[in-house]
Amino acid sequence: MKIGWVVRGILLGALAVAVFGPLVNMLLWAVAERWYFPAKLPIEYGFTYWERVFRPRGNAMESLFNSVVIAGGTVALCLALALPAGYALARLRLPLRSLILLAFLLPQAVPNLAVYINVARIFYSLGLNGTIVGVVLIHTVHGLLFAVWITTAAFAAVDRELEHAARNMGAGPLRTFFTVTLPLAAPGILASAIFVFLESLDEFTGTYFVGVPDVTTLPLLLYNASAGGNYQIASITALILLVPSIGFMLFVERFLRADVLAKMGG
Amino acid sequence: MISRRLFLAAAALGALAAAPLEAQVTINVVTAGDQNMVDYITDFLAPQFEKLNPGVRVRASGTGPGDAGSQKIYEKLAAQQKAGTQSWDVDVAVVHQKMAGTMVQEKLLAAYRNAIETGKLVTRDTAKRALGADVDGYVLPMFHSQTALAYNPAMVSTPPKTYDELVAWVKANPKKFGYNGIKGGMSGVAFVVGWIYAYGGMTEKLLAGPYDSNAKNAWNPSLASLKEFNKNVTLTPGNAGTLDALNRGEIAMGPVWVDMFYTWVADGKLPPTLKLQILGPGMPGQPMYYVIPAKAAQAEVAKKFVAFATSPQIQAEGIVKRFNWYPGIDAEHVKPQLDEKTWSKLFSDVTPKDLSEKGKPFPLGSYFTDILEAYERKVAN
Amino acid sequence: MSEPQAASRAPARDAGGAAPGLLLLAPALLTVVAFFLYPLGYSLAGAFRAADGAWTLANFAKSFELYSRDIVFTVAIIGLSTLLIALFSVAIGGYLTLGENRTAVAILRWLYRWPLFIPFIVAGQLMRAFLARNGMLNNALMAMDVLDPADAQSFLDWRGIVIAFVWKQTPFVALLVAGAMATLDRSTIEAARNLGAGRLRILVEIVVPQVRTTLVVGLVLSFVTMMSVLSVPLMINAQSPTMITVDMAFRINAYGDYGVANALGFLSCALTGAVAWIYLRHGIRERSRQ
Repeated sequence: MKIGWVVRGILLGALAVAVFGPLVNMLLWAVAERWYFPAKLPIEYGFTYWERVFRPRGNAMESLFNSVVIAGGTVALCLALALPAGYALARLRLPLRSLILLAFLLPQAVPNLAVYINVARIFYSLGLNGTIVGVVLIHTVHGLLFAVWITTAAFAAVDRELEHAARNMGAGPLRTFFTVTLPLAAPGILASAIFVFLESLDEFTGTYFVGVPDVTTLPLLLYNASAGGNYQIASITALILLVPSIGFMLFVERFLRADVLAKMGG
Repeated sequence: MISRRLFLAAAALGALAAAPLEAQVTINVVTAGDQNMVDYITDFLAPQFEKLNPGVRVRASGTGPGDAGSQKIYEKLAAQQKAGTQSWDVDVAVVHQKMAGTMVQEKLLAAYRNAIETGKLVTRDTAKRALGADVDGYVLPMFHSQTALAYNPAMVSTPPKTYDELVAWVKANPKKFGYNGIKGGMSGVAFVVGWIYAYGGMTEKLLAGPYDSNAKNAWNPSLASLKEFNKNVTLTPGNAGTLDALNRGEIAMGPVWVDMFYTWVADGKLPPTLKLQILGPGMPGQPMYYVIPAKAAQAEVAKKFVAFATSPQIQAEGIVKRFNWYPGIDAEHVKPQLDEKTWSKLFSDVTPKDLSEKGKPFPLGSYFTDILEAYERKVAN
Repeated sequence: MSEPQAASRAPARDAGGAAPGLLLLAPALLTVVAFFLYPLGYSLAGAFRAADGAWTLANFAKSFELYSRDIVFTVAIIGLSTLLIALFSVAIGGYLTLGENRTAVAILRWLYRWPLFIPFIVAGQLMRAFLARNGMLNNALMAMDVLDPADAQSFLDWRGIVIAFVWKQTPFVALLVAGAMATLDRSTIEAARNLGAGRLRILVEIVVPQVRTTLVVGLVLSFVTMMSVLSVPLMINAQSPTMITVDMAFRINAYGDYGVANALGFLSCALTGAVAWIYLRHGIRERSRQ
């Protein structure tokens, strides 16, 4: 038993270093006021940069609020579109199925710098620029990749025998879907919800082209700070963004665990 | 009881909703460059401007550093132009030289300089030409920036004064000099341009023209020596990458933008002991421009804003004192607004003489492109 | 009796034809087509146009001339990263499912997810500070006397990019794979255990084949994501050789050359499309064999 814990300890320890090592840097920069060679750790600690981020004119709270609302809206819209699409692609006979799946994949495959000028033009001509709806739409387009592919895989993985069994016992197609298929596909679907949420919080190019200057989000501040080498502000903003991210995941997990337990427990 | 509480709550909500409904004009200022540019507008310019012009709100957004940031502003304006939108959502933009030239060419900007009083306060060539493109009347410089060699006196006893001395130093101290090549940041690009100025043998032609597409063949020997030189340097990921490496002491010297350098020192990311030096025969610098889009929604207020931002007092307080940047308008208008100490701090490392002798503009647009492509082909490959 | 009955029921459900499927699919598909594929088409078409608007292949010629090394480099980096992600995520998922020590499993479950919440640009920034010559990793190793200062090396080249990608994407695939493994029927696993099979063997021969679809979907999605990320290579290694996203950005920002940038985008699209297509066809063949 002791040897087992030595091995486990080493492996878990190595993983902890791999995961947290880089994160320590972020935590240090979030509270560093002065840090340069030859110091290995910050020379001076302080919260000046927190004050800078949260100053009233800086609109940090409004940006955070916008970001969370947009992310939530994106998840809702993505799931609403992807659930039926995923079911159709997994279960029903569709021509050009591969091509359709590819159509969802390609938007994410191309580094989208060159495309956004054209996307912006469409949004401007539709009058969707500078609106939260516009930003949610553009985030949804990117989120649909994860949502559709993962829900398709999730539905495809549900054993058809179980569905047939339910149908054999007299359940209608809709009832079968809600009581058999959906709960079994739930882990995948909820995982895709988490990813769509996180992807929305990571998105700044689309938000800039469709949202700025009326809609500001925290990821925009994060991008500018990070690209410009403003480590303190970038780290603080990343820490702030952790809160809704982890919060959303915990919320989804609670939902998932209860559901899965209910199904497995009987 | 309940309904009364509900009524009061509804009334309060209604009052809150109605409260900010004064006649408010909002102007949108979008700036390329670092976050400190956005902060400058939000924290310094906006409150003062709003006090002078009640009923006006200034909203600032940033697009990120470097030409990439200016590119994003250009794309937003071009998208609106193509979509046929009648009033655009950017009222004032702050962009780099190259993009200003492109924007004027594509008729995205309004000619406003001659319509405001501060337009007369700038006579430098940079207000009229941007990398050879004619931008007269469309731009006003916000500040002038210059690249220089940053070095750590603790690690470098005799800093090199010219490119020749640098080559010798790098040979003796391999990997202690770092720059970012031409990708990822303009400080590296500036260094390469300075190299061509030093060894290309045609500086005047590069700056004034005419454009000769065969000129690039004459650069082969200097590019070959640059390739040799690169073997002994540390290549960094970008402007911030070079400063980052200086921060960690991995390199002792590197080309930096003077304004970025001072900002990093002020933010405690570089030791205050670091110094600057412009390498002879010269290193490039460039201004950033205030521009007003052609169909800006609030063009009149935008003009007032730019006039305010380029007034001698604001240039003195904001650009020079706060940031240690070289002013956008002519120095003679700004100097009387400051005390001797603040003014000389600006020139503590790089004297006015250095600046006038060794501070050069970037070359003509087409030559600039040729230099970059030649580097890609001959040095990076 | 029940088998032919079930068989006769299944086609009856599918016999509605393509119509109900397309109806369910339409909203999602239309959104993507209208707001992205249509402008994307414009951009990709731009790859075939010269500055004056004439149709040409010159942009592609130039891309290969200047960036062929980078194209190969991109494929190699992403391929290697995907392989490593597959290994690590299966290992993590496997331990979460088959691990016997409850404490260790709980710790692992809490531990592995953190990189998921860090945006790519922050991950790039963190790796730059962590993997540099005087970065945290080397400093820590030197403090522990494991590394001699003179031997310290910078990982800020292709290795840094691979490390950053693996760091960020492994939790993503691991989450998917662990979720799929959790819903497996444990009876096959129990049976194998009773027969004395080792856990590694169970993982490789019983568990992984059953979650293969989810694993491959996760890997394809990771591949696609990594192809399009600009911030990581820009922050870690913008020098040649580098990923073609950096070259695209450089073409646009330095030269305003949308032609070559779009040509590179087209190549990126084609590469990813090819990989995804292989998976999809393979998946279909598998399904029809069943």
